[in-house]
Amino acid sequence: MRILLLIILNALVFLLSLSVGSSSYGFEELWKLIMGEADETARTIVVDYRLPRVLLAMMVGASLSASGCSLQALFRNPLAEPYVLGIASGASFGAITSIVLGLNITGRLLLAFLSAILTAYLVFFIGNTRKFRDQSYAILLAGIAIASFLSGINSLLIYLHSQSLHQVIFWLMGSFSNPQWEEIYFYIPLLIIGLSFLLATSWNLNALLLGDEHTRAVGINVERYRAELIIFTSLLTASAVAVSGVIGFVGIIIPHTVRITMGEEHRKLLPATILLATAFMPVVDIIARVSTTGEIPVGAITAMLGGPFFLYLLVRKGL
Amino acid sequence: MNLKVESITVKLGSSEILKNVTIEAKKGDFIALLGPNGSGKSTLLRTIFGMLKPLKGVVFFDGKQHEMGYLPQESAETNLKAIEVVLLGRTPYLGRIKIPKERDYEVALKSMKEVGIENLANRKFSELSGGEKQKVLLARLFAQEPKILLLDEPTAHLDISSQLEIMSIIKDLSRERIAIVAMHDINLAISFANRIFMIRDGKVLYTGAPKEVITEDSIKEIFGVEVTVRRQGQVYVIPKIRGSKKGRKVHVICGGGSGRDLIYLLNSQGYSISAGVLNALDSDWETMSEIGGEIVDAPPFSQISDEAYQRNIEIIKQADAVVLTNLSIGKGNFKNLLCAKFASENGKLIVVDKTEFKERNFVGEEANKLYSEILKKSIVVKSEEEVLDALRKLLCR
Repeated sequence: MRILLLIILNALVFLLSLSVGSSSYGFEELWKLIMGEADETARTIVVDYRLPRVLLAMMVGASLSASGCSLQALFRNPLAEPYVLGIASGASFGAITSIVLGLNITGRLLLAFLSAILTAYLVFFIGNTRKFRDQSYAILLAGIAIASFLSGINSLLIYLHSQSLHQVIFWLMGSFSNPQWEEIYFYIPLLIIGLSFLLATSWNLNALLLGDEHTRAVGINVERYRAELIIFTSLLTASAVAVSGVIGFVGIIIPHTVRITMGEEHRKLLPATILLATAFMPVVDIIARVSTTGEIPVGAITAMLGGPFFLYLLVRKGL
Repeated sequence: MNLKVESITVKLGSSEILKNVTIEAKKGDFIALLGPNGSGKSTLLRTIFGMLKPLKGVVFFDGKQHEMGYLPQESAETNLKAIEVVLLGRTPYLGRIKIPKERDYEVALKSMKEVGIENLANRKFSELSGGEKQKVLLARLFAQEPKILLLDEPTAHLDISSQLEIMSIIKDLSRERIAIVAMHDINLAISFANRIFMIRDGKVLYTGAPKEVITEDSIKEIFGVEVTVRRQGQVYVIPKIRGSKKGRKVHVICGGGSGRDLIYLLNSQGYSISAGVLNALDSDWETMSEIGGEIVDAPPFSQISDEAYQRNIEIIKQADAVVLTNLSIGKGNFKNLLCAKFASENGKLIVVDKTEFKERNFVGEEANKLYSEILKKSIVVKSEEEVLDALRKLLCR
């Protein structure tokens, strides 16, 4: 029932995203467009600009919220987010480097993605050493250590190349502006693989909540599943960051909102989380592009919207 | 249905946790694995379950892996509903993409009913009491339809009524199965198990029926504590001393309640305490009986005999230190002052001198003289707490 409501909500938000902007189109005009009767300007704005933009926003929302939700179960920590594996600073490093080197969008996309994946791999490699008794915990700590190291390097890069400051900062704060179809083509297979894995194994996430020993006791190979989870959440998060920059908070706030209202059973929680995020992210993006004549970074809006809303939920429902 | 563990050796890191362990179990067995913390109980269960691979030896079980149910000691915390936790027990029966079917729900509900918690199905696990949580986890175990139950301290951290309840449930539901339960409450083990394996430092040292294996000696060997084993209908075990038995020996010369506070204090600090000569039923005698220390006693309200005096001297000889409490001296216990004199000459006497001796001397000048001689050769303190400091100094020498 709730899932159905969420799907309807998604459809509405999707249409709204296509119609709202510097020039608005009503549903009637959108219909004309589908039938191929609209004029060239409308087609360009809606199909070449707004459509990829809303798709990207939905994909990024789905990736970040699904990763966050899964990692919160893996680490049994409500504060875990998609970036705990150092992916944000890893991707930022790649993106800043590409901006400094003056690479084009494809170059930036690939460099950010690769350096995010490499960072996640490094964090997992260090944290998963047999030496540590509690490997989940060790991975978290390794993530913090490597992320802060990379942030240092990033700051240095920005300082040394202050002429590209504006571009870098805007990227860092996250945005869906200037959407490219290549980005979507690059992203879609990764998104499908990642989400399918998480959805198909959501049962195991329930077991993880009870602790590693209990998970093993019901016959799940914890080490292997943890590695798989980290691989697939890294793919999702890295591709999201590579296309849109660092959008914070979605990975925490959306899963928690759903958890508070629907409970912790991941076979329901995960799909509902994804659907709420795919509706939430485009709404944020609408606000980003219509509230001023220019563009506000999406990351800033998620944080400003998310914080108070989350507090409201906390106060009303408790944890 | 049989389980055989044949001479397994298990290493974790560089240390051998299990050394050449061999055990056997058959259908209907309720086996208690008794041993102190770190003796290897959990490791044995985890090895039987297959989570740890033995370095040497084999675990043989004529059934399938999922017919072994394991309940770890690790406490769980989650906001899942109770029924969702129980359903996790069905994991081995689900396909690649795990979707529980009608029958899985039925089995889960049935096992919740068996454990007596069907009314909790839709409650959040995190909001349940300790005993209820443990029952949910047990229901999860039974939902797996296991033939072997491996339970790691299922009653740890529970209050006494929940402990008994949980053990009864396990007992009831294990009749057609094999249950191996790690625990360290000896009396709980005796009440429920038909066989007991006593394990220490990775070796199984005693196996058999409770009556055969639970003896004062076996418990001393396994747990390192002194107990009294009573056999009245059922066997049961009473601890002799609450504090550690490894402490240094302190003999207390007391009486009439003058030693009570000191005895408790020394006991809490782990000293091994003896006292005497005390008249039976004297309040200090009762304190000593309560903590289970050795007493040199005389019949109630009678004078100390030469024989009791001599026994007291023998104990004083073996003691590391002797404390003379702020007791009153009368004709009946005058020989205790002589005992104190003997201890002071051996340089191991501490005297608690709280009130003027004259006020507690009911014998006369002879005792006054003796007491002042004793004071010269001993450490004199004013309170029980100071005795501890004095003891530390004395025992360091």
